[in-house]
Amino acid sequence: MEQKRYRPRLEILQGTLDMLILQTLQWGPQHGYAIGQTIRSQSAESLKIETGSLYPALHRLEKQGWVKADWKQTEANQRAKFYRLTPTGKKQLLQERDRWSQLVSAIGSILNPRSAKG
Amino acid sequence: MNPLGWLFNRRKIERDLDAEIRNHFQMAIAERVAAGEDPESARLAAINEFGNVLQTREDARQVWRGGITAMAIDVWQDVRFGARMLIKKPGFSLVVIAVLSLGIAGNAAIFSLFKGLALKPLPGVRDSATSSVLLGRTIDGRGMGVSVPDYRDIAAQQQSFEGLTASMMVFAGLGRGVDAQRVIAELVVGNYFETLGVGAQLGRTLLPSDDVAPGQHPVAVIGDTLWRQTFSSDPAIVGKTIFLNGQPLTVVGVAAPHFNGTIVSMGIDVFAPLMMQPQVWPPSRLDSRGLFGLTTIGHLKPGVTTQAAAAEAAVLASQLEEAHPLPNYSRRLDVVPIWKSPFGAQTYWLPAIGVLGGMGLLILLVVCANVANLVLVRSVSRRGEFGVRLAMGASRSRLLRLLVVENLVLALPGALIGVALASFLLPFVASGAAANAPSRIYLDTSVDGYVLTFAIGLSCACAIVFGLVPALRASGVELSSALNELSPRMATRGRLRSMLVVSQVAASLVLLVAAGLVLRSYSAASQAGGGFESANVTSIAIDLQTAGYDGKRGPVAITRLLDALASEPSFERATLAVNVPMSLVDNGSRVTSIEGYSPRTDEDMLFLYNVVAPDYFGTLRIPLVAGRDFARTDDDGAQAAVIVNETLARRFWETPDNAVGKRIRSGSNEWRNVIGVARDLKYSRLSEGPRPFVYYPLLQTYAPGLTIHARAAADLNHTMRRVRDHVQALDPTIPIMRSTTLAEQTRVALSVYELAAGALTMFGVMTIVLAAIGIYGLVAYTVQQSTQEIGIRMAVGAQRRDVAWSFLSRGAKLAAIGAVIGLVIATLVSGAIGSLLYGIGARDLVAFAGGTGVVMAVALTASFFPAWKASRTDPLTALRHR
Repeated sequence: MEQKRYRPRLEILQGTLDMLILQTLQWGPQHGYAIGQTIRSQSAESLKIETGSLYPALHRLEKQGWVKADWKQTEANQRAKFYRLTPTGKKQLLQERDRWSQLVSAIGSILNPRSAKG
Repeated sequence: MNPLGWLFNRRKIERDLDAEIRNHFQMAIAERVAAGEDPESARLAAINEFGNVLQTREDARQVWRGGITAMAIDVWQDVRFGARMLIKKPGFSLVVIAVLSLGIAGNAAIFSLFKGLALKPLPGVRDSATSSVLLGRTIDGRGMGVSVPDYRDIAAQQQSFEGLTASMMVFAGLGRGVDAQRVIAELVVGNYFETLGVGAQLGRTLLPSDDVAPGQHPVAVIGDTLWRQTFSSDPAIVGKTIFLNGQPLTVVGVAAPHFNGTIVSMGIDVFAPLMMQPQVWPPSRLDSRGLFGLTTIGHLKPGVTTQAAAAEAAVLASQLEEAHPLPNYSRRLDVVPIWKSPFGAQTYWLPAIGVLGGMGLLILLVVCANVANLVLVRSVSRRGEFGVRLAMGASRSRLLRLLVVENLVLALPGALIGVALASFLLPFVASGAAANAPSRIYLDTSVDGYVLTFAIGLSCACAIVFGLVPALRASGVELSSALNELSPRMATRGRLRSMLVVSQVAASLVLLVAAGLVLRSYSAASQAGGGFESANVTSIAIDLQTAGYDGKRGPVAITRLLDALASEPSFERATLAVNVPMSLVDNGSRVTSIEGYSPRTDEDMLFLYNVVAPDYFGTLRIPLVAGRDFARTDDDGAQAAVIVNETLARRFWETPDNAVGKRIRSGSNEWRNVIGVARDLKYSRLSEGPRPFVYYPLLQTYAPGLTIHARAAADLNHTMRRVRDHVQALDPTIPIMRSTTLAEQTRVALSVYELAAGALTMFGVMTIVLAAIGIYGLVAYTVQQSTQEIGIRMAVGAQRRDVAWSFLSRGAKLAAIGAVIGLVIATLVSGAIGSLLYGIGARDLVAFAGGTGVVMAVALTASFFPAWKASRTDPLTALRHR
């Protein structure tokens, strides 16, 4: 907690959060808190996400039909809302990954023109 | 889930969301505690990590709403909140609604008239507001009808109109004998109903097959009002016979409800085929190109402009002119939109409505200033609330929206009550105009979609205007000062309120000056008369044709009636006439030739005329400037005679004396000797200029529809009874179509002044009351705010008088500033009401001085009470204030 203040933080790109959530859900249903923790730990704590912002994003995905939510018991025997990926969600994830890599390579080719050509 | 689904599942979604967020915190805290943190810091860390909980909830909820739905729901919340706030402060709300509804009422009343004249001029006719009229014009632009043969040629050749139809308006007797009533009928061409898109509620309408051969189609369609009132909604009316001017017609149908014919403001009751004109209203006008009795109406084809249609009409006019030249008259044809048509009330009324509308907006200004004042005062007491809202993160725009919505919540009841009030006020304002009309007046001034939309729109516009200034101010509240309740803005707010009061005083002064001008015009107009003495004269209309008299027996009856009237000892004098002067509409006009005078090709030789019996000028006390009155000897056996007015005499023969003995004729009839020259009258309206006029002798040119004018020094009711007795004695089957006095009947010419005077007086009283409230409120508020100061001043020796004077002078100063501004504006704009003025100038000193006097007196009175109250302040209590 204390350390975070001194580390440079990456603001999450608009719309990228949705992709990250979908990606996280690829390995099975999760509840909101766990999704947040997963993204945080897998990014080696370098992505700054206000965990609160997960929930509007989750609901957005649910409305789109890319995830479905059910109330289930957790391992700690607590009721929680679990989100899982739907087939259309999977397709969406592929598309978004595709777009992301296009974006990365496009930006990369601007930043390092030679290596992109090379 | 669709937005609507969200509405229904809202509670479940919100419960789920709350549970989800609660879970999140439980897990986050549990994890941290498990990692060794103490519960309290774990909780704080979790909250910190989560971010703004309220925001998150709001965002997540937002996901489930559509954009517009979300907005609507927010607004709905504001509406509910606004309504609750207003119910909590009933005094404030009621005053605002009352003030607002007064302003809306005046405007809605005027708008209803405007709607009846311009937006729905012909109720029951498809898109009547956009229809156009093809009309003839004299050289100086006066509009007139077209002749039947000309109409036929025009209708066959014109390309501009989708369909063009025409009708001839006729005042007629309906029924037989004494029970007959006066109605207005339209004699219509075959395509009339079809072109107008008017159907029948019973039976059928008139068809082209009903208008083929002269005199061969004795059928009629009656209007809804006549059917309900005279025939008690008889379901078996179709097939029954009615008598129109004595001519039997079989009813084939009842026109659709609301349909009242095609003359704006006239309630037409009977529709008969034009081919029946020679029978219903002889002599025949079907074949003469010199009798311009038809008014036309139709819709232009899409894409055809009025100018294009008028250009085409001009071409048709010159073709007709070439094929069928008329003596002393060259045709001009024009096309105008219906609101500019001279047939109907719109041309006299619309200018007045425009002025009244402008005045109505002034009232609204005063209303808005008043309400803005109230809202300002109230927003002072709500500063704390606004501060809290801003502190909790409400955006300024959100706060602004809340305030605007609150004002709109007030606007709606204001609009509805205003409309209700207007529908009560309207008959009061318009009663004078309608009561003196010669026939049934029909204007659709009912409250309908147009009026409601207008009132609500206007009210909401007001709400935004009066709400926005205070709202902008309130939303600009600085947090610290608002919460501290110590406001350095007090001073500026006082200045704003003073400005509002000044503008109110100015606006009410403008209105009062206008009201004064119009009232003085009205009184000048009612005293002016039209150049004849209408007091103590009857105006009793009879109809010989309805009683079965024809061109042979009619003149005999007239002679006997004149004998009977002359023998009545209580009458000073008595006469008969076809038209009554000053009845607002131009009655008949004829192309007139002057012997030995060849008019220029573009000269207007179409002169108005009347047909009158002997002693007409004596009875109405119209001075003859040369020659003599018609006498009993000017009958069929004598030389053809005529009397002209002074304007005509001077135009052609230099002096009235020269005119006597000269000869004129109408059309190609026989030449008539000018035997007298009469002083000019106001023939139709008070505002008209001098125009040539011709009087034909009734004893030489028979007409069956007559008005009896009898003058007696005795009680007028007795005179009227005696006239009716004589008619009864002559023949009990002669119907009395209308029984009134000349003074009453000519009041219709005053109706525009009357309406304007009534409406503006009402407006003036309303604004002065509003301005008084405004001034009182401001001074009382200042007194209240200065209680401490008053206490100090009195403690150090100020007299009660000084205290009272300081506040009184404050009110007086504002009123004086407002009055000066108002006077400047009034001077600048008073010319605009020229159309409503009669006999006085637009800068009439009495009206200006009177208005200023009333405004200053009211302002001083309104400031006096709070000032006096201030002087009663007890210094000790005042010093302890707060």
